[in-house]
Amino acid sequence: MAWHAIEAFIVLNVLLGLVAYVTLLERKFAARMQSRIGPYYVGRPHGWLQPIADALKLMMKEDIVPATSDRAVYNLAPIVFLVPCLLIFATLPFAPTLGVADLNIGVLFFLAVSSLEIVGLFMGGWGSNNKYALLSAMRAVNQIISYDLPFIFAALVPVVLAGSMQMSSIVAAQQGLWFVAYPLIGQLAFLAFVVATLAAENRVPFDILEAESELVAGFRVEYSGMKFALIQLGEYAHMLGTSFLGALLFLGGWLGPGPAALGPLWLLLKAMVIFLLVTWVRWSFVRIRVDHILAISWKLLMPATLVLLLAAGFVVATRGAGGG
Amino acid sequence: MTLEAVGFWVVAVVLLASSLAVVLTPNLFHAVLYLAAALVATGAIFLLLEQPFLFAVQLLLYAGGVVTIVVFAIMLTERLIGERVRQTSRHLVNGAIVAAAVFAGIAGFLLRSPLATPRPGPVDDATVAIGRALVGPFAVTLELLGVLLVTALLGALYFARSDE
Repeated sequence: MAWHAIEAFIVLNVLLGLVAYVTLLERKFAARMQSRIGPYYVGRPHGWLQPIADALKLMMKEDIVPATSDRAVYNLAPIVFLVPCLLIFATLPFAPTLGVADLNIGVLFFLAVSSLEIVGLFMGGWGSNNKYALLSAMRAVNQIISYDLPFIFAALVPVVLAGSMQMSSIVAAQQGLWFVAYPLIGQLAFLAFVVATLAAENRVPFDILEAESELVAGFRVEYSGMKFALIQLGEYAHMLGTSFLGALLFLGGWLGPGPAALGPLWLLLKAMVIFLLVTWVRWSFVRIRVDHILAISWKLLMPATLVLLLAAGFVVATRGAGGG
Repeated sequence: MTLEAVGFWVVAVVLLASSLAVVLTPNLFHAVLYLAAALVATGAIFLLLEQPFLFAVQLLLYAGGVVTIVVFAIMLTERLIGERVRQTSRHLVNGAIVAAAVFAGIAGFLLRSPLATPRPGPVDDATVAIGRALVGPFAVTLELLGVLLVTALLGALYFARSDE
């Protein structure tokens, strides 16, 4: 009991540090893509103190609550948004025995908890009592209804192939062959997973709910100081969590050459590959119109992932009892 | 009191308070938020009963799904009409009387029945049991539910079609 609490505390803190440095990674990566240098002067070399400076700055900023806002809802929204984003890490194992809780329904827990994030999002959009924030929250609800299902179906393909919803047994099932290397089904499911991830994280090209040029910053336009920081933190934690999930489901988790002790490093590396893949798409594409976004989800991703799920079922059925 | 009992009472109080708030608050949007809290608390009850599968399904379908759709409906209607839709609760007293009667009935039943049945030991993996039940004894029911949902979908499409 006590050990679990300590373990969770350690994971949470390592995670928060990781989240802070993921922002630096993204800024450096984006800068590289645009032939810039990126953060440089705060902590040489290469601005390695920048995330800490950012956090200090945000903590010292004035906290503004709009006079016409729905006060309680507005103040609670960042917390309601952040908690599910951190909770998703509860079932992510970092090595066969390293993790807070390796539930037998790990994948389902992840999907269920991350679907709660939207509650905080529309609380913020509504509570701000600002038309941009409200429009953004409406678009968010729209988009999440559309992309939750393809995301779940894509994540279920490895579950069907492994015959388990427990993260550690899904990784164990990839001992011979990573699921991303599974002929056809693996690659298509991974593609669908990445696209649905982009949409679930509200990243370009699916960022109509932030859309700087029309909605300023969307549902968080009124937030400032630490509340803004909490929302940013939640968003990046969610991105990191989804990257870890993708690494566990498709890229073989901690499997890799070298001794087993290197496992967490391999997992981190794979998660970073997915994170950078998503970032790469973000900085390369333009925003898609809202009707196109909905069409991609309902007319392409949804039927495609359903067919993939069926195909995975057939594979397991023909393979016999081998899948467990 | 064990930790489990403390957890139960905390969750029970949250569940009751938020459920009451759903019907009593005049603000429609707040009512939805209380509903979300009540649904999450229900999920926590499942968790206390050591059924993480039901907890996850409860969160995914109700707190994540149903609440989102209700919010969608409110956002589409309320702000577009331009005036706030207030929730009015008529027959408060009658409702309270019926609720109290139901509570008294159930409580009386529970108090008089001998609670000799020990708590069944935890199933190895309830998820597997539920899955087998859904494709075994309850397969027809499941298929009928599917037909019902498809009918509802078609009905929604019929109402949403554009007038041409």
